[in-house]
Amino acid sequence: MIDATDAAPRPLIDTTARRRPIGLLLVAVPVFLVAWLVIWPIISAILRTVWRPDANGTVGFNLSSYVFFFSDRYSLDNLSVTLWTTITCAALLLLICLPISLYLRFSKGRLPDYVQAMAIFPMFVPSIILSYAFIRVLGPNGMVDILLNSVGLPKIRTPYLTPWGPVIGLVWDNIPLTVLILLSGLGNVANQAIEAARDVGANKLQVLWHIILPRISNSVLVALSFAVLGIFSAFTLPYLLGPASPEMMGPFMQRTFREVNDPLNAITQAVITFGFCIVFGLFYVRSVAHNQGK
Amino acid sequence: MSVLNISNVSKVFPGGTVAVDNFSLEVADGELVCLLGPSGSGKSTLLRMVGGFEEPSSGLITIDGEDITHLPAEKRPTGMVFQSHALWTHMNVFKNLAFGLKLRRLPADEIKRRVEGVLELVGLGGYGTRHVTQLSGGQQQRVALARSLVLEPKILLLDEPFASLDQHLRERLREEVRDIQQRLKITTLFVTHGQDEALSMADRVVVMRDGKIEQADRPDVVYREPRTPFVAGFIGTMNLLEGTVANGVFNRAGFSFPLPVADGPAILAIRPEALDLAAVSENGQAKVHRVTDYGTHGLVDLELPDATRLKASVAHPDMFKTGQSVALTPRAIAAYRDHALIHKS
Repeated sequence: MIDATDAAPRPLIDTTARRRPIGLLLVAVPVFLVAWLVIWPIISAILRTVWRPDANGTVGFNLSSYVFFFSDRYSLDNLSVTLWTTITCAALLLLICLPISLYLRFSKGRLPDYVQAMAIFPMFVPSIILSYAFIRVLGPNGMVDILLNSVGLPKIRTPYLTPWGPVIGLVWDNIPLTVLILLSGLGNVANQAIEAARDVGANKLQVLWHIILPRISNSVLVALSFAVLGIFSAFTLPYLLGPASPEMMGPFMQRTFREVNDPLNAITQAVITFGFCIVFGLFYVRSVAHNQGK
Repeated sequence: MSVLNISNVSKVFPGGTVAVDNFSLEVADGELVCLLGPSGSGKSTLLRMVGGFEEPSSGLITIDGEDITHLPAEKRPTGMVFQSHALWTHMNVFKNLAFGLKLRRLPADEIKRRVEGVLELVGLGGYGTRHVTQLSGGQQQRVALARSLVLEPKILLLDEPFASLDQHLRERLREEVRDIQQRLKITTLFVTHGQDEALSMADRVVVMRDGKIEQADRPDVVYREPRTPFVAGFIGTMNLLEGTVANGVFNRAGFSFPLPVADGPAILAIRPEALDLAAVSENGQAKVHRVTDYGTHGLVDLELPDATRLKASVAHPDMFKTGQSVALTPRAIAAYRDHALIHKS
């Protein structure tokens, strides 16, 4: 005689109490690593900047490093240039990547394949090489200057070591990821949905505005959020291509920590940078949730 | 009055594939014409050319005499219902229907009146505020139909609109669509690969194969008098027997039948309901392979001595059993040679 429990088919995922500890153990490792390497440093950094000894050595709640940051002209200029660079890059990325993605999504033939390869190429170029190439091409006495000089034209006003230097580099560096995310969003817009819009009388611009953009709004948000979060805390490109003053938060933190040897203010700058990034992150999460709820 | 005229239209895709080959057809005012054919026969490509989504390689398409061959889709007086509904999921039902009217800059109260009117017509009155993703497949297809009808197109184009629906819903919707089409008297071109749909809905059925017309006739004529063996085999169930005619008699593996045509090869077409069976003790022309009882009738699978299979529809399936020897008497046949009908009785 076969027992009913013996004959029952084994479920795909064993959820019995005997198997549960293994599942929890598997989850525990990444959770522990995130807590140890991400959450704890954040909490520790915040605590170190708000709970510390004052001039008399009395340990207590102290916001003087934040007061200093928000009253210091140079720190505020650095924060402003970082925000300006981030917003400019985000706008330029959308302006550049959306047409590229639309072209790649709706064109057929070999040419789109080459365009896609070119758009993805920067992903495989390290920032340091990109900076070097930028300096050799757009820098003082770079390739553009040499070419202009050869035809008797004056030199260009090089963007190297101006706020536009990091903008150009960061936009170039972020094009692949932005294009890939937008392309993935556009992949969800069915051809027949577009044809149906044309069928009821929509021209190309109306199709883009009323049908395509609302359908890829989440992808646009994801792409911009990824770009904004990366650009706000970028280091290599602003360090190599940007001006010495004002400077973006990445190089500013590094210089405060290493050259000025002021870890407290460097950590304060990091916490403020984190604060801005988390605001962007929360805006992204809220927008995605809002769109999905529609 | 809206008449669609397709004259000598061809479509050759890059790579040389001929999808539509010198196709000509006139669809009369208020007529519902079904383009019927297997996958790859060019029916959808033809419909898309009428809708403006494919550019013909050659030929002319006119509506009421006006040349629309190279007009973009958004400027054509046609309305298309797509197989996948193609509803805009970021809009509710009302906005889906009102979108085309807003593009035409109609006043808001006129838009409201027309949208509500057409929603009533398709049986979705009061559904305007519903989100399209909250609707069932059948309701979504009705919204897609309403979206086309609300613009009052001269020609309605239906591209396998019921293909994604279940059988029961498909049958109900095709009756509703036919009713609406007749009420509005709208000229309609309907693409399907379902012969039931074509035969039950169309004023005229155009059977297509390899981008050409095999036969264009009333549904009953296409069913009863298929002009080519392809149409005979494609429409309904048909026994097609390839054999030879000698001295006025068709022969195939012991099965012979008088056929008053010139000697040579021929294809004999017999509908299962036109093939009478009689049980015999021995020396029958075929043996019963399987009997299937459908309740209302039975279907007997027969096997000729060379293993060729035939089907016969019988009123009393319990009279036959597997292995039994039977005599075959066709009541109505059609005979083809070189893809043309050569005899019918």
